[in-house]
Amino acid sequence: MKSSNSIGSLMHLPINEIDPGDATDAPEFLIKATANILKQNGGRNWIPVIVKDIGKDSYQVIGNSFVYAVAQEAGLERVWCIIANDSDDTMTLTKILAGEDKPKINLSTASRDEIMAALQYLIEQPNSDLKSVKLAVATNRIDEAPRQYWKNFEPITSLKCGITKGKKLDAIQSVFYLTPQSMPDTINDVTILMTMTTVELKAIAKKRGITGISKMKKDALIEALSQ
Amino acid sequence: MNAPATTLQAALQSLPQSASEAIVSANFSPQLLQALGFESDEVVPQYDTNGGIVDLAARKTIGNDIFLHTKSNPYLLVELKGKDINLTEGTPAYLKTVNQLKRQLLGSNCKSAEWGIITNSSHVQLFRKHGKVIFPATQCLALDLNNVDQVVADIRKKIQAPSRALTVTIYNNKGGVGKTTTTVNLAGILTFLGKKVLVIDFDLNQQDLTSALGIPVSDGVLKKALIDKNVDLKSAVVTYKFSNKKLQLSFDIIPADSELANNSDRELSELMRLYTLYDKLEFARQDYDYILIDSSPNWRFNSKLPVYAADVILIPTKHNNLFSLENAAMAIQKFIPEIQAEKEDGSPIALPIFFNGEKITEPQREVAQQAINNIMKNAKKAKFDLLPYFYPKYTNARKNLHIHEVPSYANIASAAFSRIPAVYRDRSAHEYYKSLAKEYFLQ
Repeated sequence: MKSSNSIGSLMHLPINEIDPGDATDAPEFLIKATANILKQNGGRNWIPVIVKDIGKDSYQVIGNSFVYAVAQEAGLERVWCIIANDSDDTMTLTKILAGEDKPKINLSTASRDEIMAALQYLIEQPNSDLKSVKLAVATNRIDEAPRQYWKNFEPITSLKCGITKGKKLDAIQSVFYLTPQSMPDTINDVTILMTMTTVELKAIAKKRGITGISKMKKDALIEALSQ
Repeated sequence: MNAPATTLQAALQSLPQSASEAIVSANFSPQLLQALGFESDEVVPQYDTNGGIVDLAARKTIGNDIFLHTKSNPYLLVELKGKDINLTEGTPAYLKTVNQLKRQLLGSNCKSAEWGIITNSSHVQLFRKHGKVIFPATQCLALDLNNVDQVVADIRKKIQAPSRALTVTIYNNKGGVGKTTTTVNLAGILTFLGKKVLVIDFDLNQQDLTSALGIPVSDGVLKKALIDKNVDLKSAVVTYKFSNKKLQLSFDIIPADSELANNSDRELSELMRLYTLYDKLEFARQDYDYILIDSSPNWRFNSKLPVYAADVILIPTKHNNLFSLENAAMAIQKFIPEIQAEKEDGSPIALPIFFNGEKITEPQREVAQQAINNIMKNAKKAKFDLLPYFYPKYTNARKNLHIHEVPSYANIASAAFSRIPAVYRDRSAHEYYKSLAKEYFLQ
């Protein structure tokens, strides 16, 4: 039974009716020490656990799972919860708001400032794999690349900004996602053509019916295609 | 005055003592926009800038493109407040409103916006937006029945004839922080990015900028252009050309002048007025996108001239040089307001400082932050808030302590030997200064 009218309300729910969902990975110390403080201060969790309805008198944690773990450790019988709706979007948003998941931004459309902030965040993480990446250089190169057409993050590795395949590229993927536009049939913007490989250029030239392709060098290809 | 003579006066007089924002909006703003030259189909209320909703946005009709219908490319934003909100310069409500307007002007739907106004009908202030830079174009003026027509007419005049150029003076009264390097490379990169740039070497004694570009120091031409009413400053302009296999670029420069260097500061102040350079630059304000002025590291007459001439002041500092930070604070707190008081149009204002120099390690960053915190604490005692100049991204909800950095290294410094800006020789320098230009100037 789903009672949609309870969505958004603060409720004092029995802890055994709540399924922990994705458990927190917080260290033992933080959970135990926090549980002690919670007990000493009246046992009321002022920051609620965010749950969704999964059946009659049964709930699942979708956010603040640390608070849930602490309540459990403190032996609370009931815990204060806010009931959220059960959509996947709400779950994603809640996890991000609770600081449990990292938000991602759309690299296909992001502004320069957004790219810079994301890279700065990655570079300044403790033990960051991107320590050696120069913020200004990487921001400029990524911002200027034809990223609206990227189908994956591979092209970043050829921008010569210190981001190579492997751990570094993985880190990039943890903050960005792509919604690529399809390549227009006729690209004549030289700046975009320059970023493509000779093989790709030849494929386009073939489609456009340009002759003498096999003997052309990159510059000649770009010139032919830009007309 | 018994019967109000103009619609603006009538509108102003009709407002009750404590008119709310809604009343100001209904009974004053239509007349204001009309007086500024905008018809009713050229104004959109509650415009979404993508940096917040602004009360009014306006643009003249271009051909068939009526702003009310297309809602594209606003030219002027107006943020209204009620009379119950005190917009006297420096009050908390004023600062909040200015920040609100800045966010709106920088919203992604407002790339085309060039002007912003804040008003509550008792005060009004006009701001200019050039690229990413927003600076006052008037002081925050008190409005009353006697001056309202004049003030609004003046604003209208400014809005209708925006100058093309942003004038930036690179200043720090500590020497050796990289003023000349910054000026040369900023000019180089802005030119590379398609802007038309004029550089002025006003570091009269050192003349480093001129020699860094391999240009001969002029022999009295600049002095004559500055002190003789009939000589145009344009006569002192020479062109710096750069070309290699891929690039052909050029920007204009007014080189340093050996005769000016021979004059003592006192002699200069007898020959020129504080506003001389500003007035003489009139010709350049429609011809260039950027006018960059390199200045002397002192606070004598010869460095007041370029500060007076500027819209904004860019202050390079070094993280490992306490004096460069203290002097930056001094310039922001004391020197620049001194010039603002003389100039009476609200400008120049300081841009946030940036670190120019060696790479910063974590412990060094902590030392620099400690020093900055002390400087800010001292300024606070004198009721001066340096926060936006040192930590521009810090807000009451976010402790963001990032300061823009331009690392300098051997390649940048040695570029002067080849008489070529480092940004044309070195790929990293190119990227660092491009990043500086985009962070501070280009939208």
